[in-house]
Amino acid sequence: MANSLRLYLACIKNTLEAAMCLQNFPCQEVERHNKPEVELKTSPELLLNPVLICRNEAEKCLIETSINSLRISLKVKQADELENILTKKFLRFLSMRAEAFQVLRRKPVQGYDISFLITNYHCEEMQKQKLIDFIIQFMEDIEKEIRDLKESVNTRGRLVATEFLKQFM
Amino acid sequence: MAVVDVHRFAESITCHAWSPDLSMVALCPNNTEVHIYKSLSQDHWERLHVLQKHDQIVSGIDWSSKSNKIVTVSHDRNSYVWSLEGAEWVPTLVILRLNRAALCVQWSPKENKFAVGSGAKTVCICYYEQENNWWVSKLIRKRHESSVTSVAWHPNNVLLATTSTDGKCRVFSTFIKGVDTKDSKAGSPAETKFGEQILQLDLSYSWAFGVKWSPSGNTLAYVGHSSMIYFVDDVGPSPLAQSVAFRDLPLRDVLFISEKMVIGVGYDSNPMVFASDDTGIWSFIRYIGEKKAASSNSSYSSQFSEAFGKFYGSQSKSTTANDASESRGGVHDNCINSIVSLSKAGSPKVMRFSTSGLDGKVAIWDLENMEQELGNQF
Repeated sequence: MANSLRLYLACIKNTLEAAMCLQNFPCQEVERHNKPEVELKTSPELLLNPVLICRNEAEKCLIETSINSLRISLKVKQADELENILTKKFLRFLSMRAEAFQVLRRKPVQGYDISFLITNYHCEEMQKQKLIDFIIQFMEDIEKEIRDLKESVNTRGRLVATEFLKQFM
Repeated sequence: MAVVDVHRFAESITCHAWSPDLSMVALCPNNTEVHIYKSLSQDHWERLHVLQKHDQIVSGIDWSSKSNKIVTVSHDRNSYVWSLEGAEWVPTLVILRLNRAALCVQWSPKENKFAVGSGAKTVCICYYEQENNWWVSKLIRKRHESSVTSVAWHPNNVLLATTSTDGKCRVFSTFIKGVDTKDSKAGSPAETKFGEQILQLDLSYSWAFGVKWSPSGNTLAYVGHSSMIYFVDDVGPSPLAQSVAFRDLPLRDVLFISEKMVIGVGYDSNPMVFASDDTGIWSFIRYIGEKKAASSNSSYSSQFSEAFGKFYGSQSKSTTANDASESRGGVHDNCINSIVSLSKAGSPKVMRFSTSGLDGKVAIWDLENMEQELGNQF
């Protein structure tokens, strides 16, 4: 199981290295503007083919690339309804603080749990390798975080049930 | 080591150009200004001038070698020709007639005109009009389907090669009555009509950048974003085209250092050497920077240990992967986006060149001591 995760992350890391070749590119449609082409999608020749990396049906990563921006969308594994709720709440909590992350998109792409938007400005300010490492680390940490949250909810549920049933002893 | 000098001028550099005597460099620190630095001694540069006229990022600078004029283009659709009057650089507005950003600029070999590629999917050919005392432009409107990312002049001062984000490389005639003179060398009637498309190359499936002519004008080279570089020999009615694929990240710009050798620079932060053998086949020779070789070895080792771990379920060492990542650094830490020749005008071989990148460094390279390593292919 751990090996499967590591191969999944290694594949994403290699793909991001190749995809994160971004450059400053002013808008072709509006004068004096400079917008992420992966969001606008107004010029089809400026977009590259999206890459979908799946670990299984429930866990995947979509990488959409354009000449000056890159969008990474993640679907986190959710085995049951409790994980569904925890993932939804936790990632919404993070998305509302997108400014602090700089590369986090405020609203996830349709069908995914969380999205990043990386532009050429981010590649100029930060080291490209560190950006990739951050995203890989983020994916690992999300998985651990959800698992820990689930354990703590289960533990608390069991504790509450135990205390409740004590009144009948 | 081929690098003779490295200096960090800014956080990020979009483009740079050298003065005719190679003592001063003009560069854009990824904003609206152009800074001119002079080298006082080894590793000590002084900023002499700041050219402030543009409203948005300056995307192209070219410094003419004979008339000592600087032309700059910017994302604000404007272009200025700067002339040195006394101790100040004085701008003259060029009437570009563009409605989108200008992306690149290059003086023609005779320096009586320059070409500007733009996001308006056109190329402007600008020349000086004596009677009105300004620079005017003529537009090549035909056939570009996307932004023009790079322009290159043929040595005959008439043909112009362009690359575009639609993946195509085109060659146009830019004959302008009154600026150019007809001579017997003109190959065909099409070459004497402005804006006529001589050639279109469809080799690339992705964006194309960095077109350059060889010193004799017989060979054309340009790069595609799919980690490919394309060579076209005998440019004319029946050209011979070759594609060279290389591993690692795409290139952004190329420079002919002789008729048979090309330096490519790009996202790998390390210049690559491509050369043609005696039969005319082009191939990748090696990287110029030395650290890259070690990095490649680490990369292979990491992949092998990863595959090994897959079978035995053992924990592969993450330190190896980290080493591979750390050793990616060389002279440049980020993408190299510009390479400029540092040889005197007219010499057939380029022994020195400079590169600038998004890490804000300008590096000067000298191939004199690498001549043996690269073989006698010069």
